This record gives sequence, structure tokens and C-alpha cells, in this order.
Amino acid sequence: MKFQNMFKKRVTEPVKSAEPDRPEVPDGLLKKCNACKSAVFVEDVKQNYYICPHCRNYFRVHARRRVEMIADPGSFEEWDKDVVTGNPLKFRGYEEKVAALQEKTGLSEAILTGRVTICGLPAVMGVCDGRFLMASMGEAVGEKIARAVERATKEKLPVILFACSGGARMQEGMVSLMQMAKTSAALKRHSDAGLLYISVLTDPTTGGVTASFAMLGDIILAEPRALIGFAGPRVIEQTIRQKLPKGFQRSEFLLEHGFIDAIVEREQQRDLLGLLLKMHGTGEGKCAWKTAETEREIPEKEAMSDEPSEEKITPWEHVELARDKDRPTGSFYIEKLFTDFVEMHGDRCYGDDSAVIGGIALFHGRTVTVIAQEKGRGTKGNIAHNFGMVSPEGYRKSLRLMKEAEKFGRPVICLVDTPGAFCGLEAEERGQGEAIARNLYELSGLKVPVLSIVIGEGGSGGALALAVADEVWMMEHSIYSILSPEGFASILWKDSKKAKEAAGVMKLTAEDLKNMGIVEQVIPEREKLTEENFDSVQEILDREIRSFLDVYCEMPEEELLEKRYFRFRNM
Amino acid sequence: MIRKLLIANRGEIAVRIIRACREMGIETVAVYSEADRDSLHAHLADEAICIGPGPSAKSYLNMESIMSATLVSGADAIHPGFGFLSENARFAAFCEQCGVTFVGPGSQVIQNLGNKQIARNTMAAAGVPVIPGTDHPVMDAETGEREAARIGYPVIIKAALGGGGKGMRTAYQPEEFALAFQTAQKEAENAFGDGTMYIEHYVENPRHIEFQILADAEGNVIHLGERDCSIQRNHQKMIEEAPSAAVSPALREKMGCAAVKAAKAAHYVNAGTIEFLLENDEKFYFMEMNTRIQVEHPVTEWVTGMDLVKEQIRIASGLPLSVKQEDVHIQGHAIECRINAENPRKNFRPSPGTITELHLPGGQGIRVDTDIYAGYTIPPYYDSMVAKLIVHGETREEAIAKMQSALGEVIIQGIDTNVDYQYGILNDPDYQSGKFNIEFLNTHVI
Repeated sequence: MKFQNMFKKRVTEPVKSAEPDRPEVPDGLLKKCNACKSAVFVEDVKQNYYICPHCRNYFRVHARRRVEMIADPGSFEEWDKDVVTGNPLKFRGYEEKVAALQEKTGLSEAILTGRVTICGLPAVMGVCDGRFLMASMGEAVGEKIARAVERATKEKLPVILFACSGGARMQEGMVSLMQMAKTSAALKRHSDAGLLYISVLTDPTTGGVTASFAMLGDIILAEPRALIGFAGPRVIEQTIRQKLPKGFQRSEFLLEHGFIDAIVEREQQRDLLGLLLKMHGTGEGKCAWKTAETEREIPEKEAMSDEPSEEKITPWEHVELARDKDRPTGSFYIEKLFTDFVEMHGDRCYGDDSAVIGGIALFHGRTVTVIAQEKGRGTKGNIAHNFGMVSPEGYRKSLRLMKEAEKFGRPVICLVDTPGAFCGLEAEERGQGEAIARNLYELSGLKVPVLSIVIGEGGSGGALALAVADEVWMMEHSIYSILSPEGFASILWKDSKKAKEAAGVMKLTAEDLKNMGIVEQVIPEREKLTEENFDSVQEILDREIRSFLDVYCEMPEEELLEKRYFRFRNM
Repeated sequence: MIRKLLIANRGEIAVRIIRACREMGIETVAVYSEADRDSLHAHLADEAICIGPGPSAKSYLNMESIMSATLVSGADAIHPGFGFLSENARFAAFCEQCGVTFVGPGSQVIQNLGNKQIARNTMAAAGVPVIPGTDHPVMDAETGEREAARIGYPVIIKAALGGGGKGMRTAYQPEEFALAFQTAQKEAENAFGDGTMYIEHYVENPRHIEFQILADAEGNVIHLGERDCSIQRNHQKMIEEAPSAAVSPALREKMGCAAVKAAKAAHYVNAGTIEFLLENDEKFYFMEMNTRIQVEHPVTEWVTGMDLVKEQIRIASGLPLSVKQEDVHIQGHAIECRINAENPRKNFRPSPGTITELHLPGGQGIRVDTDIYAGYTIPPYYDSMVAKLIVHGETREEAIAKMQSALGEVIIQGIDTNVDYQYGILNDPDYQSGKFNIEFLNTHVI
């Protein structure tokens, strides 16, 4: 049964009373969310990091609110409040407009700069305010950034800039364009002084700001779904006369294309920035991480040969164990051996390769850069990580992270597990060979300690690109070879089915390679290694990595590089 | 007087409110979710506005959406019913800010009574009996034992951060105290990393007795007697009746006075309910105050002859109470059974679905409040209660007989219901004798 106006609704006449004041929502109680179109309580939005409680759309945040969200309470000390535009083009009506905005926003210009502490750690912070001519970069914005960065350089402080901008300020013409160069130059000097710059991109970051300070961070973070691009989407659409795909130029798009390190929700921003500041110490000089645990007791190194190993197994069985689907993968090693891992994405050129996971983490309180080849678990995981077959962007990402480690003087630990570099059309188009070669070249001269551990398959050049290290270790049942036994058999004997025999002659086991002097150490595995019994090797790895760091981090740079050079020179 | 009322609810209570408004000549606006397009309340009201998708959080709990519907429809008041936003202080405040009459107490009153500690302190200060307990955290057994002696055995020892029965022990005698305290504290330390404890008098096997009160803006407060809601499953009431077999006229007088005192202490306006725990020896303790119309209000309506929803609307319109305390007389006995779409044999699993056949009882002394009809599909998003069957007889025995007869007539096909289970309770000798407490369903096989 469906009721279609079947009820006789009126039984008595409606009450007739003088119509009182019609109820209405007082001003400022509600606002509309542009994303889900629903009305939301202003108070809820304020209490919730300016995020829509219904759809999690991010509202734009005024500069001072942003400082409150990030900085320790009361720690903000504003700098250069008196820097204002001089109207260089004598643009008509511009000064009046700026004056009106100053009145409205309480800001002197479209950026707020100053000194803050975050989780107790000092930093220089700058925050753009979109209410001020869409936070376009005129001479005042450029000047304030340049001054803040220069002062940070002088006071050896890290810089954090929250970008939000429409780009250049039209009313200031070429003077505005020059601010791109000015801010970039100031940041270059700051970086050359070995100091940290974190850029946080918020909605929208476009034009000349994207093409200058916003994209120059050692670490570039972004808020979810923020519009980030050089040319605005409308301009592109009108130019190429095509509709742009959904999600184009959003943070997620940039992450996929390798231009930002991570997307961070507002609730996590303060803690993450605090952690990153902590991980980068004072940012001064080499091996700045060497602050914690100097009194550590160095454990006695056990003779590895004493460790009881399983009965002798054949090389082919080694290959099978190294490829076993239950064998822990790179990400598991990271989780077990390090704390506070912050993953950094992207090669800043083309993409983010999920076959390589890299970032910074703490190892017993010291900051290290960790780079792991990741095969993924299960079929879905395998596909998501391309079976650990690294693409050129994966190598370029790892190189980027290594160079960053060099800048901040922290050691690099690589976990090698790949059947080989990705073999495909796209990989060749983007220069797989060049990418691997560049890694070998740069790693050989990287001015910080590098340790590589082969944890599964060390497949050829794809593995070597992460293994030009001061020491290379192998897990007992890992393999490291010129290419896969199947490939070897097929090239030499024209029959890939002879892989078993090939494994027998290739000398690819850890033991063989140790005997040949290709690797320094074999980490014993008592049994078939799985995530469940990982504790047995975790303890050994933990101890060995500690003593590696103790030795190599003390080593003078020249000696370190000389030693690494001759490690390969003599092979 | 309220001119046009928006009902921020669904189901039988929305229908109940719409019916009262029709009699009073007040225009009605129903709100409904996308899952409730075919619901009775949406069709019965003068106007109906869709306020969002099925899940409650996006519709019946969506304050902004409900307020928009109110303003668009030109309603000047909102009745929140029960559940959903009915005891949401923030929503009441929102109505106040927008100049919409909220049919219920003021937001500050809801706020205060919703806070267990504030409510308890208010009541204690007004001389309403509260469960005796410690005012300060107890950290060691010796202090605890002294406190327990003051409070009176049996006592229950609770962890400050407790939950899920962890860090909770009872002691019936002083000799048991030290061990019980230490065990509870150790458990609390292990589970919550904190050994802060509280001690309270343990009310053993109490009855749930609640008093209906009405209060107008001029400060007049009356009570309409009690309801006995001891037949509960997992704190969900199943059968309610008025009066209670355990409340004598003298006790009613005493508890009623306490209820009025409680309402006055809270500066309460509109209809409300004071819940008490009643011990064997006629000692009673304030538990909490519900700041809304209750599901079981019809039993009070029947024994007092009053229409509580109409009273609510009158009070919200600023009119004084229509009756004085001396005009309130409890007559006969009323029982309500909640009919739920659930399967008692499958651990009361909810059973939404389409009702294929329907027959509901009627006749003298029988009332059915429901929103279901033949062909109606019960959506899966909301409470499983589909009907309230209420009977009235001269005596409790007559009411029980009427309820048995009425339950026997209920036919709801297409979904599972608890009708047979309710029938079982009505046939239980302990229920019939009136000797039961809140443990009834835990100790009886139905």
C-alpha cells in the first residue's frame, strides 16, 4: 500500500495567531561548506582544524590561525611587520586596495613571518594568507620571505613555509616576477649552509609561488586535495581546449607524479613537523645526528661462524628461500629495525615508484635515511609494488634521498630485495640505464656512511644501484647475482629450464660471496625466515647496525671515501 | 501558542506527536531520511521535508539540516521526540539561538543533567537521595574500608578509569573488603595503568522505578506517579507498567516529593522523568533525569487520563500546567509491551524487512502506538521498535489478562518480532506475582 494523499489531514482549523518574528539563524553561527554544500557550525569548523565535519573538506586557514595550529602557544615572534609594498608601478587604486585589506585582515601583507617553536624546537615560519589578494607575491611578500630566510641562515634555524598563493602580483608587474628569483636565491644560500627547509603546500598553490619557494623544500608536504600547479586549470583548459581529468593538479596527483614527499592531514601536521625538526637536529655540520646515546655500550661482536646454521642446503634451495612468499620484505625490516619512520615519496621529476620505499627514521635515537626495495606481500601487494622491480623513478627517488642524507650528514641504510630493475618499455624511455649508472656514480662519492643489506634477492644492476656501500651484508638465505639463474641459463645455455644448474655454478649464495670478498658479513638465519620468527635476526641486525654506525660515523670523510673507493677498485 | 511544529524524529513517536498537533490545530512538518520516504509520519504530517540519507548521522542527527528544514517550512517550534537529538544540549541551544521553540527544557538544564557528576551533586544538595559513595578518589584499602563502613554494605569498588567490568569488585561484609579492594585495584592498574578507585553503595537487585514530572515556566512542578520499568534486557526496557506493584501509596508520596524536589533543583521546565533505583527495604536512590518524553509515557497517560505530548506543547508555548498535584489521581493499571523487529532466538538480532501481513488488536482498554502498516518496509538504519501495545485494566490482574489476550492477536508477517517472547514474560509466575527486579530477564528462562 502506498499513501498518496489518502489521509484527511485537517481535523481542526489551524491556529491563527499573529505571526511572530520568523526564526532565523544568527549571523556567524553557520557557514556553508563549498565541497558538500551543507551548512556547518562555524564553531565545529574552528575546533576541528578548519575541516568540514561532514565531508572533511579543508577550509582555508588565516595565517594567524595557522600559526596557532602549528606553533607552541605564545611562541610566535613576528618579524618584519613594517615591510609593505611601495607600489612600484604606481598602479592606480592599488594602495587603497592594500590599505583596505590591511584594515580587514590585520596583516601588513599577504605573508606572516617570524620565529616560533614547534614541540619546543625553534624554527622560522612563514604563512601566506589567501585573503590578501590571493596571497600573490609582490615585493613585500618576496622581501619578507628573503629576510626571514636570511635571518634563519644567520641564526642557523630551519625554515617552514606554508604556501598558498595565486602566484605573481599583477599590480607589481616585473618587480613581482623578480621575487621568484629573490626568494629562491635566499633559499639556496640557506640550503648551502646545510639547513633544513620544509615547504607545506596548501590550497591553492599556483603560478610564480609554485615555480619558486614552494617547490624548493628539502621536504615538501601538502594538505589533502590542495590545488597545486604552475598554470591554473582554467588557463590550461582554455589553451589546449580540452577538459582536464578529475583530480588533475591536486595534491594526490602531485604525489603520484613524484613532486611532493607526503600528504599530511591537519591533525598530524604539528606532530610531524616537530618530529622532522627533531630528526634534523640543529642542522649544523656533518653527522649532526651524533647527539644521542654517546655513552652507549658497544656489544661484543660474536664470531658469526659460531652461529649454528641449518644443515647444508643447495644453491637452488637458497634461491627458493630468497624468493619465498613468506619471507619478510623491506617494509617489515623498516618497521622492526627503526622507529618514527617518515616515508618520503617521489623523484621530483616524473613519478613515485612503489618498488622503493624510502625516508628518514630513528635508529636508537639517531636519524638515518632508510631506503628499501619492496616486493609487497601477497598477489595484491606484489602488483602494487611491481614485485620489487624498480623503475628509473625509483632509483632517482633513492638518489634524491641519499643526497639529502649527505646534506644533513646522516648515514644511509639500504635494504636490497629485487629480482632486477624493471624491464619494460617505459623504463627504457625514462632511462633505466642512466638512472642506475647515476646511482653508482653518486653513491661512490656520497660523504656519509652507507650500509647495504641484501635481504632477499639481489638481482643484478638493479640491486647494485643501492649497494655501492661501505659494507654490504647478506642475510644467510639471500642471493646476489649478475642476473637471475633463469636468465643466466638462457644466455649461456639457451635454456632457462637449467636454472637449477646455473644456480649451482653462479656463486650467488651469501657464503660464496663472503668467501669471494664481495660482501663483508653474513647475517645468520636459524630457520626459514618469516615475520613470526624475525626476532632471532632482528637482535643480530640491531647489534651489527649499531656497531657499523659506531665505526663508520667516527671515520673522517676522506678515509671513508677512500675506503669505499678501494672496496670496489680492488674487485 | 506554537503555530507550526516540526517533528525532528521518525517512527511511532513522530506519528504520536503529529496526532496531538492535529487535535490542537497546530500545523505539522515532518522530516524524513531518504530511507523513510514511505514512512507513515512523512505522509501524515501537513508537510514533509527530506533531510538527508538513511544513516541517522546524516539525517535525524544532522542539526544543520533539520534547522534548515525548520526555517524553510516556517515552523516556529521543534519537537525532538525521544532518542536522536532529544537530549542534545547543543541542539537545544541552536534552537534558542535561532529563535525556534524547543519542546523540552532549556539547553543549560539538558547540559547539567547530562553530566553525571553535576546531576548527582545538584540532587544531593537538594536533599534527593543519591547512591552513597566516596567524593574523593581512594588509593588504599585502609581508607577504603573506613569509607565503606560509612557508606554501608554491600559496596562496589570501581576503577576511576574503569569500563567493561574491569577493576570492579563487590564486598558484602567488612571482612571481604581488603581483598576485594586489592584485587580490583591491581586489575585496574594492569588494565588502565591507574589505580584510582571509587567506592559506592552496591544496590542489589533493585527495581527501576521512574517518576513522570511536569513543570511549567512559572515554577509549578507536579508528578504523575511512577512507572516500573524493571523488565529490561541489556538496559533496554521491554515492559513498563504503572503503577508499580512494589510502590505503596505512602512510598509513592515520598518518592513523588523527591522527584518534584529534583525537578525544582534542576530548574526544570517541560515533561521529564526522574529515574530511581528502589531497594528491597523501600530505600531509593536518584539515578538520572531524562529530559525528554519517554517511550513508555502512554502508561502514565492511561492511569492519569492526561495527554503528555499536548502538555509538553502547552508548556513550551508558555502556558501554565492544566492540572494541580491534587487533581492527579492514579486510576487502574496500565502495561506497555514494546514490539520490536528482532529475533529473540537469534540473540535478538534486528530483523528489518517488509511487512507482508498485519493485524493489530483493538477493543476496550487496548491502545496501539505504531507507524507500521501492511506493505511497509522497515529500514535497517534505526531502532528496532515497531509498535507499542498498551493496555489498561481496573487491576493489575485484569491488565495482564488484557495484555495476554492482545498479544495473542498480534499478527506481523514478513519479519521476526519479539511478540512470543513478550507473551512468555506475561505468563511467567514471578512476573504475574509482581515480585521481580531488574535482574528478571537474566534469571528467568522465557
